[in-house]
Amino acid sequence: MLRASAQTSETEIDIHGVGGDADSAALGIEFGAQLMQFAEAVANRDQEKLPETRQALLDVAGPRVLVDAAGVAANFQRMVRIADSIGIPYDDTTSDMSREVREDLDLNSFASAQHTFAS
Amino acid sequence: MTYFEFGAVPYPIREDISDAYRAYWEKLAAPGTWWTGEERVAIAEETRNALTCRYCAERKEALSPYTFPGEHDHSGNLPELVVDAVHRVVTDQTRITQSYVDDNVARDLSKEAYVELVGIVVAVFSIDEFHRALGLPVEELPEPLPGQPSQYRPSHLSEDIGFVPTVPPEGAVGDEDDLWRTGFAANVIRALTLVPNALREWRAIAAVQYLALEKMRGWFEDDTRVINRLQMELVAGRVSAVNECFY
Repeated sequence: MLRASAQTSETEIDIHGVGGDADSAALGIEFGAQLMQFAEAVANRDQEKLPETRQALLDVAGPRVLVDAAGVAANFQRMVRIADSIGIPYDDTTSDMSREVREDLDLNSFASAQHTFAS
Repeated sequence: MTYFEFGAVPYPIREDISDAYRAYWEKLAAPGTWWTGEERVAIAEETRNALTCRYCAERKEALSPYTFPGEHDHSGNLPELVVDAVHRVVTDQTRITQSYVDDNVARDLSKEAYVELVGIVVAVFSIDEFHRALGLPVEELPEPLPGQPSQYRPSHLSEDIGFVPTVPPEGAVGDEDDLWRTGFAANVIRALTLVPNALREWRAIAAVQYLALEKMRGWFEDDTRVINRLQMELVAGRVSAVNECFY
């Protein structure tokens, strides 16, 4: 969705931000580095990094951005568990964009890729 | 008691978020489709216990979660089989398999009950994660309400995706006609539809934390949010990547 959103909005981004690279996350996305690092700390449930990244995001972007970002992060902590607990396959494996993103981020190596490619 | 009062919180938490969480807490406490209110709240409690379960932490490091002996740390209000399912969804969801779900059916955890369980776990976990992300204490669980589960099963089901039957894209008709508009039946939307209320509850929370279902596709800016779609998708993508979620 990030790449699709970038294409639709004609914004140059670097998809490797999703992989955890702060410079890539910052390309074309306001507060991108801080948002990515906050999301990472939430997903890892990292008790040391979470207060640090929360404060860093708060400092640069303000409390309303922090609240919205916390909502999205919390939502995807749920989405990933729905997808994996029910074993659903990804809907679109044949488009060029899907293939490129999977290759760029090495998504095919994830254990849950079996739900898509085993069927 | 009024739940999710954010008045004293140092951040401006939107009212639609507290409203949605409060509405979910009411549903959580009430009898569901396959679980009583008491069982639903017990599942919520186990969702929290999973995060400090020593067995879950050790098993997560094991090569296979299916050959690692041990006992979960739990409250004792649910059968061990159910505790294990709840804890797996929270701590080791990428290694849940078709065999695991099928074996549970043979041991009396039906696919219908499993789907409702997943719906409860992910909703409570997500609401709790919002609190943790902001450094806030999690909300007290609601008092269960009496009554029996409805045991409602949708009339149109297919077995084309995932470990459990789901409502097919063309199956959102009759009592399920509110589930999605034509063209909005992505697999992740269909995932919980063996228990349609689980999807309805999912949708209501997603609409305030992320986007309403109808707004997820394409480039949509929600004017009630201060982060744009690119920022949302960066956060979503990083959370998914850390969880090694292919979907």
